[in-house]
Amino acid sequence: MESIINITTWIVLAAHLLMALVAAWRVWRGENSIARLTALDLASTLTLAVLILISILEQNSIFMDAAIALAALSYLSTVALAKFISDQKVF
Amino acid sequence: MGNILDIIAVLFMVIGTLFSLIGVIGYIRMPDVYTRLHATGKVSVFGIVFLLIAAIILSPLSLWKGLVLIFFVLLASPSVAHSIASAAYRIGLPLAHPARDDLRGKMEQGDGRDV
Repeated sequence: MESIINITTWIVLAAHLLMALVAAWRVWRGENSIARLTALDLASTLTLAVLILISILEQNSIFMDAAIALAALSYLSTVALAKFISDQKVF
Repeated sequence: MGNILDIIAVLFMVIGTLFSLIGVIGYIRMPDVYTRLHATGKVSVFGIVFLLIAAIILSPLSLWKGLVLIFFVLLASPSVAHSIASAAYRIGLPLAHPARDDLRGKMEQGDGRDV
């Protein structure tokens, strides 16, 4: 059973890394700033998933703290960027 | 064979990955920004939450961190989608083949020219 979990986790990790790369490429090549911002949000969510999978593989819950910090940072930065894009001032 | 919990965890992991895959494919294929936000919402809500449930089952020590993360992701994802959608509408991005536009005229719009 241990090997099944390991193999599945590795496959899922590879899938999420691939999707995160696709999202990161769309951040680079988006057509307008809002599409790039959505791609940034998608890429950070997928890296959050990668962090969670690493915490499963390493059986170490320190990566969960990193995932919480990444979730908080990506949320704040996306909202601030959206506010900046909408009316050219953050506050 | 392993106990039932491990099988459930593996199942949750696979289902979470399928939802993320659907979300990313939806993000690439959707015509305009507003429907794309619908797709990315799937990734961050279903994908991450199912992975977290699997993580909690596989390593029960990180139960409370996982619950905090589930709560935060479920809280953050809709408000992020809302802020991006209102920013997109405010700078005037067009809706692809719109059936109804309830906000027309009620909110001052830019001319869709990019920032």
